[in-house]
Amino acid sequence: MKKSIWTGIALAVGLAAGMGTQAGAQDFPSKPVDYVIPFGPGGESDISARLQQPYFKKMFGQDLVISYKEGGGGAVGWSQLNAMSDDGYTIMGVNLPHIVIQPAQKDVGYTTDGLVPIYWFHYTPDAIVVRADSDFKTLDDLIGYAKENPGRLTFSGSGKGTANHLAQVNFDKLAGIKTTYVPFKGTGAAVQALLGNQVQAEWGYTTVGSQQGDQVRLLAVSMQERHPLFPDVPTFKELGFDQVGGAYRGIAVPEGVSEEKRKAWSDMIGKINADSDFKKQMLDGGFALIDVPYDEMDAWMQERKDAYLAAAKDAGIVK
Amino acid sequence: MPGFDHFIEALTPLNLAFALFGVMAGTVIGSIPGLTATMAVAVLVPLTFTLAPASALILLGAIYTGAIYGGAYSAILLNTPGTPSAIATTFDGYPMARKGDGDLAVTLACLASVCGGLVGALFLLTLAPPLSRFALAFGPVEYFWLAIFGLSLIAALSEGSLLKGIAGGALGLLLSTIGVAEVSADVRLTFGAQVMIGGIQVVAALIGLYCIPVLIDLVATPDRHLRVEAEARGFRLGEAWRTVLRNKVNLIRSSVIGTLVGVLPGAGGSVAGLVAYSEARRTARKGEEYGKGEPGGVLATESANNATVGGGFIPTLVLGIPGTPPDAVILGALLVQGVRTGPQLFEAQGAVVYTFIWGLFLATILMLPAGLLIGRYAYKTIVTIPKAMLVPAVAFMTVIGTYAIRNNSADVTIMVVLGAIGWALSRFGFGVSPIVLGLILGPIAEQGFVQAWTIGTAIGDVPSMFFGRPISLAIIAFTLLSLFWPFVKTRLGRWKEDPGVGMILAPTVERGPVDIASVVVGLILAGAGIVTLVDAAGYTDPDSAVFPRAVAIVLIVASLGAVARALFGIRNRSAPRSGSTVRRVALLLVMLAAALLLPWTGFLATMLVAFMAIILIAMHDPWTPRRAIIFPLAGILTVVAFTALFRYALYVPLPEARLF
Repeated sequence: MKKSIWTGIALAVGLAAGMGTQAGAQDFPSKPVDYVIPFGPGGESDISARLQQPYFKKMFGQDLVISYKEGGGGAVGWSQLNAMSDDGYTIMGVNLPHIVIQPAQKDVGYTTDGLVPIYWFHYTPDAIVVRADSDFKTLDDLIGYAKENPGRLTFSGSGKGTANHLAQVNFDKLAGIKTTYVPFKGTGAAVQALLGNQVQAEWGYTTVGSQQGDQVRLLAVSMQERHPLFPDVPTFKELGFDQVGGAYRGIAVPEGVSEEKRKAWSDMIGKINADSDFKKQMLDGGFALIDVPYDEMDAWMQERKDAYLAAAKDAGIVK
Repeated sequence: MPGFDHFIEALTPLNLAFALFGVMAGTVIGSIPGLTATMAVAVLVPLTFTLAPASALILLGAIYTGAIYGGAYSAILLNTPGTPSAIATTFDGYPMARKGDGDLAVTLACLASVCGGLVGALFLLTLAPPLSRFALAFGPVEYFWLAIFGLSLIAALSEGSLLKGIAGGALGLLLSTIGVAEVSADVRLTFGAQVMIGGIQVVAALIGLYCIPVLIDLVATPDRHLRVEAEARGFRLGEAWRTVLRNKVNLIRSSVIGTLVGVLPGAGGSVAGLVAYSEARRTARKGEEYGKGEPGGVLATESANNATVGGGFIPTLVLGIPGTPPDAVILGALLVQGVRTGPQLFEAQGAVVYTFIWGLFLATILMLPAGLLIGRYAYKTIVTIPKAMLVPAVAFMTVIGTYAIRNNSADVTIMVVLGAIGWALSRFGFGVSPIVLGLILGPIAEQGFVQAWTIGTAIGDVPSMFFGRPISLAIIAFTLLSLFWPFVKTRLGRWKEDPGVGMILAPTVERGPVDIASVVVGLILAGAGIVTLVDAAGYTDPDSAVFPRAVAIVLIVASLGAVARALFGIRNRSAPRSGSTVRRVALLLVMLAAALLLPWTGFLATMLVAFMAIILIAMHDPWTPRRAIIFPLAGILTVVAFTALFRYALYVPLPEARLF
């Protein structure tokens, strides 16, 4: 009842654009869905959600209404997720390694196992990025310099305990080198430091390569196979370093959501991921698609947790 | 002029309509504390997906421009920056309004914003690539020194007691470190409280520290909020224009400063306004009284913050690195539309870029008539509305605005508590502006310091990292100048009046009995410093401990200094505050109760009750049947209309919870 009063008022003031109750093709979803991003507008999580928005509307006939619950590097949103409405119409973006590292450091109001991720849909693969005019033409050049000058090679990256930071720690170990990691606030600031010659290289993502074009060069990417956007850039694996990964994005629901609706969400996100136009848009943006549906979740999460926690211990950021 | 042929393309009726609509919508949104330019732009992003890229950009750019200007209204009329960019506008704008010159200040803000906006857009049009190289020359050290330069404004703002100013600034710096650390790996100063994980949101703090004290003092007395002259004086354009001509150097300098700071990603409109204000104040001529209602202060900040719009688009478009938070949202919208920014953009998609830049010019020019009219309306509303309606309406806006920033009711509680702290501190000679400066500049200073230190250690030369780079040295020189200038100026003035060494060294304050209140506040602040040191001992990452430790030591030393000063009975005159303590306390309690209850009882139910309660608290006139009907009715209408607006048009998930 109170809902309909509100809709009436909203319509009366002419503000209900796009909020009408359309009848969906199937019973779920039958009304607009709240898609909560635990970061501010304009970040990569926001952009990913914006890219999914039109496909969701097209395929399932309902609006995906994006809102933001920013704070604490995502912790504020995640700590409130399980208290949100569990009718299946509220979903939230989740990110790795964030949801593993944060609770391992201190009490941030949620635990990794307490969250219910239902699908991981893409990741931004780690990559070593240098300026286009850098002397480092190949990964070997960079390793050679680092070996001769221990600790002197500086990398910018986004934050600490992040994908960038853990990639640096992991690679230093694999290559037997010692480098210096300089944390910046976000990828934009890390790229700025790289372009401005403040650091010699950046632990960034393939997306940096797609956005910066020929200002930068990728030396290697952390993928199983080469990224179609950068056919000339080798993977770390090809060069003999067992390093695959990056910053993963997925969707989680409050813990009270029923098993059927969890599966329904997993299927819907999977269907968007399988769309060929969507795929092309994501690859052009430098993203790499993955598909971890709800029924494969536990095993995959366990594997990620082990890897991240080991690297974080090496980095000295969790006890 | 490059891309002049695209000027015609920008002139389509549709684009013009977008520019006008954008500027007007942005101005209104920006004038509401809590609704920032970032949010205004984010809400409209989905609308732009169906538009042509250039039109979409014009709409977003116009909203952004309008929102930065709109922030001036509440800064001038309510002492509350509508957006962080307008912080420094309060320094002289609000004193002007108190003196009865609110209408003039609003008109000046409009003229300055248009001027700054045009200068920023001109730089964007003509010098974008070279200026983007300037942005890249700014490394971590330069950001660190820029933040220190901004902090040096504390010296000028804390007239009387520099020690209290430094203590306030240090407190602000510590407040900025609360929560999950941004670049290091720790959770700091939360003491296990979940609500503190997200830290103190800057806009929420601004609303609390600036607006709540104004409301507290408003309810205490029956006096008018602002002085008004009997006769209507219109826009006072002639007077405004003469002021602008008198301040032309200030205006141009501030616009250029605004553009340059805007070019630096991560600095933004608030820093631009502070730097421009600091320079205007330092170069003040005889008879200009900055901080007491000097029109030049409003001109400086308002031209600088609007210049950041054009300036911020330079790294966004040329480097693909967003210059300001709204730019990040616009950049995201462009990526979704398939427009790739970066060095190739100007050649590959010149049509889009130049049409947009010309559109930005148009929007800025349209802001002149639109801004003057909306400003006039805002001024009239604030001065004519009865106090018993003004206070609850503003209090309601502070709550809904603060909630909307991060959709978080904990921020509302923090806002009210900070307001109470701010009111108490300013009563004892600790101004709130140093705290705000610390909060805004803290993250920039900390990140710059840790990064520069890390890089300096890697190359094995920390001193030359901090003191060996030309831009840094220039900023350090300006910092020293503005730090010592107020001191030198007072002493020089006295020397002129009465030459002699004794007059230079003589203290500027008078002795009196022991100032017990300042002793207590000083000891509490020193205690906060000690608590920080204890907390920092438990951090896992040394990077997250170095800054809070250094700041805590400064806080302890400055606070104890202030305590010693107070014990010797040295005091600065502070205006006695008269009025009803009961009403003050009642207002705070109602707001605090509303903040704590709204997640449980629902937003609308809570705010309707709170609104009615605050009408009662703020009512000094006798109740008449007419008032008894109109006030509650207008209150219900305001609360319901704005709740609907926020819930359904801005997609703010205001809690419904148990009631509604």
